[in-house]
Amino acid sequence: MKHHLRNGLNAGIVFTVVTIFLFLVGFTNTIADIIGAILRNESASLPLGMTPEMLNLLIFFFFIGIWAGASGAKKAPGEKDSWTGALLAGGLAGLIHGLFVGLLGWLLGSLAVAGVRMTVYFAQLLPVVIRTFLIGLAPLQGAIFYLVFFFLTGILGGAVARGLGRGAWRHSFSLWLRAQWQKVTNWGLVKFFKTNKIARYILFGVIILLFFLLPLVVGQYWNYTLGTVGIYVLLGLGLNIVVGLAGLLDLGYVAFFAIGGYTVALLTAPSPQHLMWNFWVTVPIAIILAAFAGVVLGVPVLRLRGDYLAIVTLGFGQIIAVLLKSDELTEFTGGPKGVTAVGAPTLFGHSFNDPVAFVYLTLLAVILVIVVTIRLRSSRVGRAWEAMREDETVARAMGINTLSHKLLAFAIGAAFAGLGGVIFASRNQFTGPEDYNLMVSFNVLASVIVGGMGSLPGVVGGAFTLKGLPEVLRELENYRVLAFGALLVVMMLIRPAGLIPTSRRKMETGKTPGQDAGPEPDPQKGKTP
Amino acid sequence: MNTIALETNNLTKRFGGLVAVSNVDLQIPEQSIFSVIGPNGAGKTTFYNCITGFYTPEEGDVTFYNKSLVGLTPDRIAQMGIARTYQNIRLFANMTALENILVGQHHLLKTSWIEAILQTPRMRKEEISALEEAMRLLRFVGLGGMGDQVARNLPYGAQRRLEVARALALKPKLLLLDEPTAGMNPNETVDMMRFIQRLRDELGITILLIEHDMRVVMGISEQIAVLDYGIKIAEGTPREIQGNTQVIEAYLGRGATTAA
Repeated sequence: MKHHLRNGLNAGIVFTVVTIFLFLVGFTNTIADIIGAILRNESASLPLGMTPEMLNLLIFFFFIGIWAGASGAKKAPGEKDSWTGALLAGGLAGLIHGLFVGLLGWLLGSLAVAGVRMTVYFAQLLPVVIRTFLIGLAPLQGAIFYLVFFFLTGILGGAVARGLGRGAWRHSFSLWLRAQWQKVTNWGLVKFFKTNKIARYILFGVIILLFFLLPLVVGQYWNYTLGTVGIYVLLGLGLNIVVGLAGLLDLGYVAFFAIGGYTVALLTAPSPQHLMWNFWVTVPIAIILAAFAGVVLGVPVLRLRGDYLAIVTLGFGQIIAVLLKSDELTEFTGGPKGVTAVGAPTLFGHSFNDPVAFVYLTLLAVILVIVVTIRLRSSRVGRAWEAMREDETVARAMGINTLSHKLLAFAIGAAFAGLGGVIFASRNQFTGPEDYNLMVSFNVLASVIVGGMGSLPGVVGGAFTLKGLPEVLRELENYRVLAFGALLVVMMLIRPAGLIPTSRRKMETGKTPGQDAGPEPDPQKGKTP
Repeated sequence: MNTIALETNNLTKRFGGLVAVSNVDLQIPEQSIFSVIGPNGAGKTTFYNCITGFYTPEEGDVTFYNKSLVGLTPDRIAQMGIARTYQNIRLFANMTALENILVGQHHLLKTSWIEAILQTPRMRKEEISALEEAMRLLRFVGLGGMGDQVARNLPYGAQRRLEVARALALKPKLLLLDEPTAGMNPNETVDMMRFIQRLRDELGITILLIEHDMRVVMGISEQIAVLDYGIKIAEGTPREIQGNTQVIEAYLGRGATTAA
């Protein structure tokens, strides 16, 4: 009994904080808008003078309320599974949730009635938002409404949690999913593609082809975003080798991106170097220079581990940024103004510059880099990297030259970043010191961690999440970054290993089916006493 | 007797004022099972670290088949044919059992990173044979069928054996085992003893063993050296060590011998 009350209380407080936070940053309105877009009820006429916005907000709150109740009714290990307990805990969670949300509504409503302009304090709190929040009711009525509303949804949530066996529903749900997946894989068509190698290749080909056609369909803005995401995928794949595989925490990764970008910029732009080389000639130069810089950075930090390595590489990243801005080098790099009119790639004599072409170029680079990464990872070199990440001391005791493998990881990671820099500078037709600030390093690192360290689909997913999601979240305007940060925190709580964690290759079962677990009978066993 | 695999002369390792290993002379004959014992903190693991190159001794020399190991990096020493296991199991926890063994084969494979990117036929052939060898080793230590499991998820005894398999993958001439039966029940301990003997008898590997379990030490060692405060206080066959008063004192205190 006591346990139910405590659980309900906790869930109620947590959901109160979450709901109020989401409301104050305007996230609730965004969700309501999204629900509206899904239901297409912008112009629906509703009873009781409700606007569609109010209805959509209530739909969102309905789910939140059920979630709060279900969360409050969670079963403790070893506890008897009772209906009363679940309903009690769910109801209590809902009551507290409703009480505080209602209080907020009452407070905001009263202030609005008194004529206080809340937008001064919270940009989201327009009068219309508050009116929507109160469902068009008077402040006190609205508060009571929320109390009752969340109490009822809390009880419903408790019932839902109990009805689904609490906690166990997650297990049964995953079982159900797996069963569905089995069914899908047993479909004739799917089976055909699974067993028939040529058909599978054709299917993959069609999917890739569709993906290739995508840039032609979507507009200029989305192509630009797609290109940015692609460049971050390149950077993420490079950093994935350094951090994800070799386990070297490199916070100065932006330096190699900058070296790639500046190399192509200085060699192809009319000023400040007057070289104007062909784009394609500069690509390998930029990649080699970046890789070389990776080695140069690698040598002094070879013996550092963990935090120390992170700090030193952070410094290296800053040095590059400062150098690019410095007056001393203005003649050479263009200084704070940067380099304009960076050359574009040319093909059969005419240069192409539109975002679509760059999306294709980025896509090609990404595919190339993925192939290289996959091949390295499944080789002796990749295994040495991973061994180093797991336990450097033991890796050395296993005969791995950790120094040369660290340098190799730095060089290859840097080369990928250099390639990213080339495409980035050439696409923007401009490059400047501001493009290479520390946030790039952090963003790339975040995309590797969010996606799942060491996992290739994870890196791609992470880059889409980190660079693509903010574009989708534009609705939130000022609170975009805040909501984004909150989302990241929530995501790491739900999936600590990343969006798509790395999966190990199955090498034994793949080659020797039916291997039993027992030791192999040894012909020479008789020799041992 | 036959040739000497590993020899230390006057080996000394200091940490500041503390002498962890002091003037230790040992000769470990080829294909023998040689144990180093001593109370906790006697310098056994430091002694191992001096051999494997993680510590550089202040004085003295370590030779392996008459080649000095002092000043060589741990990876060079491993490549010369000295492999080890750890007191507290240190597998590559997030890699599969097979991958762990493949890492052990690292220095025997020749693929460079360029070949890996280009997937040359030589590289593919090498990978296939490396995988076959890894699976052979997996079965040798009785873990057939568990190759795709992540090392972290293996049961304790299996982790110990996997660690040995990983060490064997280096094709070592000398294997250093650091308390291989720690945390095992009596049955598992007996199995491990048999297994260690098999390693020597079937693969001809010289075994250097640190062990606390006296049944294991007395049961399988041919020679035993006793360290106390970094000093070798005794050396001999198990029978000789069992009767040595100095050794009993080191383990049980000075009163033990007079009372007996």
